Amino acid sequence: MCDVDDSRELIELPLEQLAACHECDLLMRKPELALGERAECPRCGFELFSHRPQMLQRSLALALAALLLYIPANFLPIMHLHLLGQTTQDTVWSAVRSLYDGGLRVIAVVVFLCSMGIPLLKLLCQLAVLLCIRWDVGRVHGLFLYRTYHHLREWGMLEVYLMGILVSIVKLIALANIEMGIGLACFIGLLLLQIWLEVVMSPQQVWEALSGESRYAGH
Amino acid sequence: MRAIEAGLLICPECHQLNRQDSDHGRQRCTRCGASVHARHPHSLARTWALLITAAILYIPANLLPIMTVSALGQGEPDTIMSGVVALVQAGSLPIALVVFVASILVPTFKLVGIALLLISVQRKQPLSARQRIVMFRFIEWIGRWSMLDVFVIAILVALVNFGTLARVEADLGAMAFASVVILTMLAAITFDPRLIWDNTESHDDQE
Repeated sequence: MCDVDDSRELIELPLEQLAACHECDLLMRKPELALGERAECPRCGFELFSHRPQMLQRSLALALAALLLYIPANFLPIMHLHLLGQTTQDTVWSAVRSLYDGGLRVIAVVVFLCSMGIPLLKLLCQLAVLLCIRWDVGRVHGLFLYRTYHHLREWGMLEVYLMGILVSIVKLIALANIEMGIGLACFIGLLLLQIWLEVVMSPQQVWEALSGESRYAGH
Repeated sequence: MRAIEAGLLICPECHQLNRQDSDHGRQRCTRCGASVHARHPHSLARTWALLITAAILYIPANLLPIMTVSALGQGEPDTIMSGVVALVQAGSLPIALVVFVASILVPTFKLVGIALLLISVQRKQPLSARQRIVMFRFIEWIGRWSMLDVFVIAILVALVNFGTLARVEADLGAMAFASVVILTMLAAITFDPRLIWDNTESHDDQE
């Protein structure tokens, strides 16, 4: 794909047959992908395209399932702590509340955004984008929402939060009696669904479907 | 060849190619409407600014206590390092290692790594572009894991709340630490990785 002698030919090709790597700016001929195939940049190895079968149906199912788990994951107790006859419990939301009440409001807001706010916004953006494609309405808004999703992507940190739960358990286990709650199972479920959704919902296919140039939308 | 030499601009958000308008100051992507530039404007200056702010906050983040653990009325402030030491003493080495990597090694590595990338681009040093892009991707990917300690504090504050018997409170160091993590993440976003390839074009294209 990366022939230098080819460069004059490349310039003369129409825009639709060209692609450039987002990471290193290498210009190349757009590869034709069959179902299930993916293409990487020949120079820097960045994944450029991947073509997943039944992207729309599978992503919709995953996004809906993740949204169903969202409330139990955030508002049901993750764990209970027993110490000398007293019991406290912790939910994702109560952790934010107690930080806020403790006076470090900025930290409370940061934790709220990374563990609750942005993951929810991301899921809602993804769902709205998928529905735009499915029902063929409001593609302009769909484009805007999908751009928003890409800006938010890095700031949702559910997997880091799960590791935080693990570290807290290890810190407390010697001092007091800990019991896992149902919220933890829901939280892990939400995390797994969200990762799976990110894998299935291949960006290039979504952009093409949103801009109406898609051959894939029905798949 | 690079897209920039063919007069083509790649959209930073949807990766669509756009022909460069010569007379336009501000060009928008034909597909998604994001503004497109050959390279992010002022990428180096913005990244430096964020990085230097992060480096300054790095000092209070490591020196100030991030939380206070009090038992029976006696408070004991915990810094990031003392938290790791406590985990080692408690015998949970794997978790101590995870916390050490996430809260001490990664922020330090990010500060040094991004500074090295910036210097290598500005001085046009002939370092291997592939090695640098691998380093950049690693920095980009690992940055969020440093939030680990902030989440641990949040969970402990909620959970260990037994009045005078035992309680955990968050301290100012946590604020500085969270700022360092957020600022270095922003620095990784403002850095334009295409700059790494710009002055190595002649060598690497021949591969």
